[in-house]
Amino acid sequence: MIRPVGIEAMNVLGGMAFLDVRELCDHRGLDMPRFENLLMQEKSVALPYEDPVTFAVNAAKPLIDAMTPAERARIEMVITCTESGIDFGKSLSTYLHRYLELPANCRLFEIKQACYSGAAGLQMAANFVLSGTSPGGKALVVTTDISRFALADANAVQEWAYSEPSSGAGAVAMVVSDTPHILALDAGAYGNHSFEVMDTCRPGPDTEAGDADLSLMAYLDCAAGAVGDYLRRVEGADFRESFSQLCFHTPFGGMVKGAHRHLMRKLYKAKPDEIAADFEERLGPSLSYGKRVGNTAGGSVFVALAGTIDTAGITEPVRIGLFSYGSGCCSEFLSGVAGPESAARLGAMGISEALHKRYRLSIADYERLLAGDAVVRFGTKDAELDHQIVPGAWPADGAGTRLVLDKVVGYHRHYIWV
Amino acid sequence: MAHPLDSDQIVDIIIGEIRETVPELADRPIGRADSMADLGVDSIERSEIILATLEAVGLKIPMVQLHGPRNIGELADLIDAKKSG
Repeated sequence: MIRPVGIEAMNVLGGMAFLDVRELCDHRGLDMPRFENLLMQEKSVALPYEDPVTFAVNAAKPLIDAMTPAERARIEMVITCTESGIDFGKSLSTYLHRYLELPANCRLFEIKQACYSGAAGLQMAANFVLSGTSPGGKALVVTTDISRFALADANAVQEWAYSEPSSGAGAVAMVVSDTPHILALDAGAYGNHSFEVMDTCRPGPDTEAGDADLSLMAYLDCAAGAVGDYLRRVEGADFRESFSQLCFHTPFGGMVKGAHRHLMRKLYKAKPDEIAADFEERLGPSLSYGKRVGNTAGGSVFVALAGTIDTAGITEPVRIGLFSYGSGCCSEFLSGVAGPESAARLGAMGISEALHKRYRLSIADYERLLAGDAVVRFGTKDAELDHQIVPGAWPADGAGTRLVLDKVVGYHRHYIWV
Repeated sequence: MAHPLDSDQIVDIIIGEIRETVPELADRPIGRADSMADLGVDSIERSEIILATLEAVGLKIPMVQLHGPRNIGELADLIDAKKSG
């Protein structure tokens, strides 16, 4: 029998500030008559002194703090999963290792494959555990992505008109081990679908380019392909019957709805009312947090997982199917089992409460941030951060448990706890 | 065996799917030169319409192979070519 493996502990972080998406669309003059179908509400916006490191550390810190010294000593691998890296060579995981005070005998590295990076990191960590090369060893996997696409130039706002409302910011931290209290992975049960396609890309460190139609087509092809590969590989599996809940990579809810409809039509020739009821039941809970933080890229499918575990009312063990898609492209459908203990442990993280505490940016605040004057761009050698750029967002009564960027000296980023 | 569809018949199928997917367009004249985006059909709806059209004409190919056409006529021509190819 294959030993147990999966997610032992998990936290989702949506940063310090958010913007109301409807307000943004009105401000941009976007013609969105069927806005409700997109299933978007809010998006997290990274403040200038927040970066992929602070998102990652702040997401992981509660998990590390909750461990005994003996448990912490067994973290032997830190994998950061991101398309928002801050250096071509040195990985974010090194900063995590420092600020989380992790053991020195630790393997540190970073994974990039657009929004698929988180699933790749989870599988990499799970296979480290399954390999048995270090029995009892744990891995810390952290997805962390922020989006500042409009920095490039004025045209970027126009080009990305319909993507701006959906692009968010967030990090998901997961401890992966042989005691999977949050999600026990079905080891060996997965399906992949990949091919080269230029649907979205980051040709420059802080610019993005893409084609919404092509990306959607690739996503749909991959959803069918990855699920098909899973069903081929796992004897007796059935997309409709085997999974009580589903979590998909969520650029925005409407896209998930489209992919689910595609699968239900393709596999079962299901009728619209049947598809709608199934979506509500099996995917509705997964959108709980995604619609409040926006697209968090590598972490999006795990933001969906957290939403499901926190809000689906799990009273007995349930099998959850997860679909991850990363542009360019690579995709995977995998599965695991969560139960009442998962709900109790994740509920204790207070994810929803933390999202409620974010500062609500005005459009004027947001536009000032978009101008980018205060932002540390990729490759910046020296900088001092203005912590009062949005005075209301600064935690005046902080407990010393939140990391923010303070300055950059000779490319080296220095952070402080506030 | 049924007579194969030509490009104009595929255009009719696409327009029928557009009207079904976006009821607001039920009575609006739509032709080969129109682009779905300009008609106000959003990206999710466009993919639905293309999938339904593929199903209607019995063509099983990856969606990404249908990327590129600028209007309904070009899309029908491409589907026609894929059917023949």
